[in-house]
Amino acid sequence: MKQFIKTILSATLLLSAPLLSVSAAVAADKPTLVVYTYDAFAADWGPAPAIKKAFEPVCGCELKFVATDSSIGILRKIQLEGASTKADIALGLDTNLTAIARNTGLFAAHGASTTALSLPVKWGDPVFLPFDYGYFSFVYNSEKVTSAPTSFDELLAMPEDFKIVIQDPRSSTPGLGLLLWVREVYGDKAPEVWKKLKPRILTITKGWSEAYGLFLKGEAEMAFSYTTSPAYHMIAEKDHKYRAAGFSDGHYMQVEVAAIVKASKQQDLARQFMAFMLTPAFQDVIPTTNWMYPAAGNRSLPAGFEKLHVPSKALLLSGEEVAKNRKAWVQEWLDSVSK
Amino acid sequence: MARQRQQINLTSYWSWRPGVLVAFGLLGLVTLVFAAILGVRGDSVTQAGTFWRDIGDVLMITTIQAGLSTVFSLAVGILLAWSLRHRQRFPGRRLLLSLLSTSMVLPTLVVALGLIDVFGRRGWWNSFVADGSLDLLSVSIYGLGGIVLAHVYMDAPFVARGLLHRLENIPAEHFKLARSLGLSPWQRFRTVEWPALTPIIPGQCLVVFLLSFTSFAIVLMLGGSPRFNTLEVAIFEAIKLEFDLPRAVALALVQLAVCAGLVMMAMAFRPGTAQQVVRRAAPMWPEPRFAFVLQWLVIGLFAVLFLAPLLAVVLNGIGADYAKLFSSSGFRTAAATSLVLAAVSALIAIAFGLLIASSQRHLTSTLRSGTSPLNRVLSGLLSFSGTVYLAVPALVLGLGFFLLARSSLDNPTAVAPLALVAANVMMALPFVLVILTPAMAKTAQKYDRLAFSLNLRGWSRWRLIEWPVLRQDLGYILALAFCLSLGDLGVIALFGSQDFSTLPWLLYQHMGSYRTTDAAGIALILLALCLSIFFIVPRLFEGRSNAET
Repeated sequence: MKQFIKTILSATLLLSAPLLSVSAAVAADKPTLVVYTYDAFAADWGPAPAIKKAFEPVCGCELKFVATDSSIGILRKIQLEGASTKADIALGLDTNLTAIARNTGLFAAHGASTTALSLPVKWGDPVFLPFDYGYFSFVYNSEKVTSAPTSFDELLAMPEDFKIVIQDPRSSTPGLGLLLWVREVYGDKAPEVWKKLKPRILTITKGWSEAYGLFLKGEAEMAFSYTTSPAYHMIAEKDHKYRAAGFSDGHYMQVEVAAIVKASKQQDLARQFMAFMLTPAFQDVIPTTNWMYPAAGNRSLPAGFEKLHVPSKALLLSGEEVAKNRKAWVQEWLDSVSK
Repeated sequence: MARQRQQINLTSYWSWRPGVLVAFGLLGLVTLVFAAILGVRGDSVTQAGTFWRDIGDVLMITTIQAGLSTVFSLAVGILLAWSLRHRQRFPGRRLLLSLLSTSMVLPTLVVALGLIDVFGRRGWWNSFVADGSLDLLSVSIYGLGGIVLAHVYMDAPFVARGLLHRLENIPAEHFKLARSLGLSPWQRFRTVEWPALTPIIPGQCLVVFLLSFTSFAIVLMLGGSPRFNTLEVAIFEAIKLEFDLPRAVALALVQLAVCAGLVMMAMAFRPGTAQQVVRRAAPMWPEPRFAFVLQWLVIGLFAVLFLAPLLAVVLNGIGADYAKLFSSSGFRTAAATSLVLAAVSALIAIAFGLLIASSQRHLTSTLRSGTSPLNRVLSGLLSFSGTVYLAVPALVLGLGFFLLARSSLDNPTAVAPLALVAANVMMALPFVLVILTPAMAKTAQKYDRLAFSLNLRGWSRWRLIEWPVLRQDLGYILALAFCLSLGDLGVIALFGSQDFSTLPWLLYQHMGSYRTTDAAGIALILLALCLSIFFIVPRLFEGRSNAET
């Protein structure tokens, strides 16, 4: 028995040795700028590789992306690491998180000029600098849905077997986006709207991936996603059947921002990166890797983007307002859709 | 007599201390995890009043959901095990057993999407009944029924596998006697087969109940409404959204308390009947017609029900661009990392499982240690330490490991593999112990007197007594622990980086950026890996004597 265990233990140690040494090897001669971001941004097919390639010759440094599982994961990881964090920049928070992030006091002013920004809303935040934005919307398959609703009122009037699949606002960014959108459009009537919407909700998933996966399988007529989602199918898959349902109520926005970590020892380099973020070298990568609109410049977008629905009205609540009311609104939402 | 008692103590000293140490070490680690989380200053403090009001409903509805999932998993497991026991030879039986095992170890998102392909609104079943205008037979997978279906789908095969093994170990004489008494299949089940199953049923129910009780993505995705939320959702919310760590710890402790209560219940129900051990399943006589038909029906029906979602996974994945996948260094690194971590985790889980199970049998054996109250307390603690990880959310474990690593090391990412192995081991242990504990107890009951009188100890005892009895179980749980670790997303979320990822993490990453086809390809690769492991590993552990079972 003992011998058996000994064999197992030594085999274990042998096997785990190469794994341990992998993460220890880090190039040390150049300064390194560490960016914490969410997984899809840092992925091989995400914006990170092209941005790394463009920024490294400019800064004479190494740009390192560290992926967390979600947008909020970036903030929580930096918060947990506190003053000893390895992060120089947090990239990928959204406007619903900025108030919470600001209150942690962990972020410093970005110092970049915001004149290049071309957002549909005014931006004057000294700490959080946008790098892209998008509009939430329902996405449908035009081969199956011939007359998609053009407003929330129309959606509420659809037959009950017209199903939508949405995300839980407690675990998903789009889920929270929809909650805020309904809130913006209907104000205090939001709970009634949710009660009316409820029979048409097929299910409420933990994250965007599950909801969109269900939609692609044809389980629901519409999924809650972005107006830019059809661009992925058009450009990457040459598939033109997916459309975003344009709502005359206006569309709720998601603005993705980055910020410099106060505890970073690379403040100059970090500021250089923030300025770089609004240049074409960064911005041009965004549309076909992150499938969002670039936040700066009015240059032409890749072919396919011109076919997307562009909302006539952009809705956005301030981070402070979201932070103040989120808990009450989520509770209200839960009460409306659970019964 | 006095001399014999002395020998027993000598033997037991080595055979049970390490297991108790391991169990307490793991419990200590969990305690450290909670302490580390409580040591961080969170964002807000919840009032006690609203805390209990909020979780009351959650506990109630989750208990109902988990109860139903357990009852149905057990029912399906018993039916399937009984049918497979009596239909010992048919082409593809082995493959079927391997296939059944994979439903539990695949990432939940893969399983859920596979089930939806079959039973969803636009799934195979509903299209089939719509084509035949049999609208009455159409099903909806969204709601409590869907949640229970998914849980049964994932857990019943595990239950069935454990029960089947017990049934195969019933000595031929019992069946001979039953036959000469002219017992009907039902009477035979009650008098011969059921008693063989009862020792492991409480443990299995405990595992299935806790798995369903702590389910997260499935209850949201198939629940249709937040009504069926589990505590796990609230814990996620407290950690991620609110950063209210004390609340998260409080919620996790409620979950632990439920687990502890269930462990005590399971112990009270565990009957101490002596178990038999046979090396070879008894051959069977022809069954009465209705039993024969029923067995084939059960096997056929469940084979179709269980295999259809896996077939959907295969069909979805077949169109992926594998040349591109295999040539990407990200995929190769993730695959290598996953395989090494799974192998290491599985071996450690088995080693720990053997140690804990041998302590457990020492403490419960009257011959070895008597029945002192201290032993019962220790034995309860061992059971608790063996199941507690099912009740500790991966998020809490990951957060705790991250904080522990950060407080003691400069670069917490360097310990990512260790944290993953630790989490995987903890996750696999409950499954390992559910199978090993009764098997080890059996060898003690049957062979202890003989072994002690022959002064058979240590390695020779293991080789001559435990190994022949356990080898088949070991093959299965090694495969199970390996695949569980392979498919788990576990604690990687906080540790993940560009240099460190696993296959399930890569799968979710693809899913999260529209790359559904590649994600389906990775799911198929995971399925193929798990299937080969379940097919090959148990074979390596079989002796010649029972190679045909």
